[in-house]
Amino acid sequence: MKELSLNILDIAENSVKAGATLVQILLAETSDTLTLTVADNGCGMTPEVLRGVTDPFYTTRTTRKVGLGLPLLKLAAEQTGGSVRLTSRYIGEDPENHGTEVVAVFHTDHIDFTPMGDVVSTILTLIQGSPEIDFLFRHQRNGSTVELDTRRLREVLGAEVPLNSFEVLQWIEEYLREQYQT
Amino acid sequence: MTINKMAEALSLRPLAVPEGERACSGVYIGDLLSWVMGRAQSGNVWITIMSNINIVAVASLTDVSCIVLAEGVVPEEDVVRTAEQKGINLFCAKEPAYELAVRLNGLGI
Repeated sequence: MKELSLNILDIAENSVKAGATLVQILLAETSDTLTLTVADNGCGMTPEVLRGVTDPFYTTRTTRKVGLGLPLLKLAAEQTGGSVRLTSRYIGEDPENHGTEVVAVFHTDHIDFTPMGDVVSTILTLIQGSPEIDFLFRHQRNGSTVELDTRRLREVLGAEVPLNSFEVLQWIEEYLREQYQT
Repeated sequence: MTINKMAEALSLRPLAVPEGERACSGVYIGDLLSWVMGRAQSGNVWITIMSNINIVAVASLTDVSCIVLAEGVVPEEDVVRTAEQKGINLFCAKEPAYELAVRLNGLGI
């Protein structure tokens, strides 16, 4: 993919499909690395499925449960000399504490590092498509932090205001872009 | 053949042409920048679909004569600006890389 924000969208969509009620999208930058964490409390994967998800030829299209998001993320990270780590607890084995965590490390000083792109649009697309799910987005860079927690937003707005209403989305966009400017 | 004549013959859309009278020779097609860095030759017309700022650095390093963005890819404004500043010719085209290469071949490049 040409921009990391599209990879992030793809990975977070997996969390949505896994029935998560909370999806955390965390970005942490150092001078020469970027660490992306997407963590959810969805149904998780069995160790068997987990082994196959980064292999694009693992199963046929009809039985494959996730798209090519993870293989492509792995490619994007590894082509910068980075890596992807995947952990998951399957709901069938751990009904109390299930979910999946994807951690990708990129070396941002590598020539094949694909730029972040418009991550604010990614977050907006996710909220627009799944207003019932909570998202925690946090981007730490050079000492400053950009953050959005839809759980806090819901506390203020009340349960009756859908997060994908135009005014709310517009507010979220301005709120995030303002934080990026400072 | 000069970049200006080549671009006109292929109806490429110019984005930045700071070195239009430079001669071009040979073609390189590739998107993985680290790979292109090691293989594109000085003077080549480099066709790619990558449009991030790093392409300007790779073009500068390999001394290719121009970058042609294929398949209708359009870069961000800062990429165009940097290309202009660094003396890198930058074009875009609707056609896929293969079509462009065939037509460049027809021009004898």
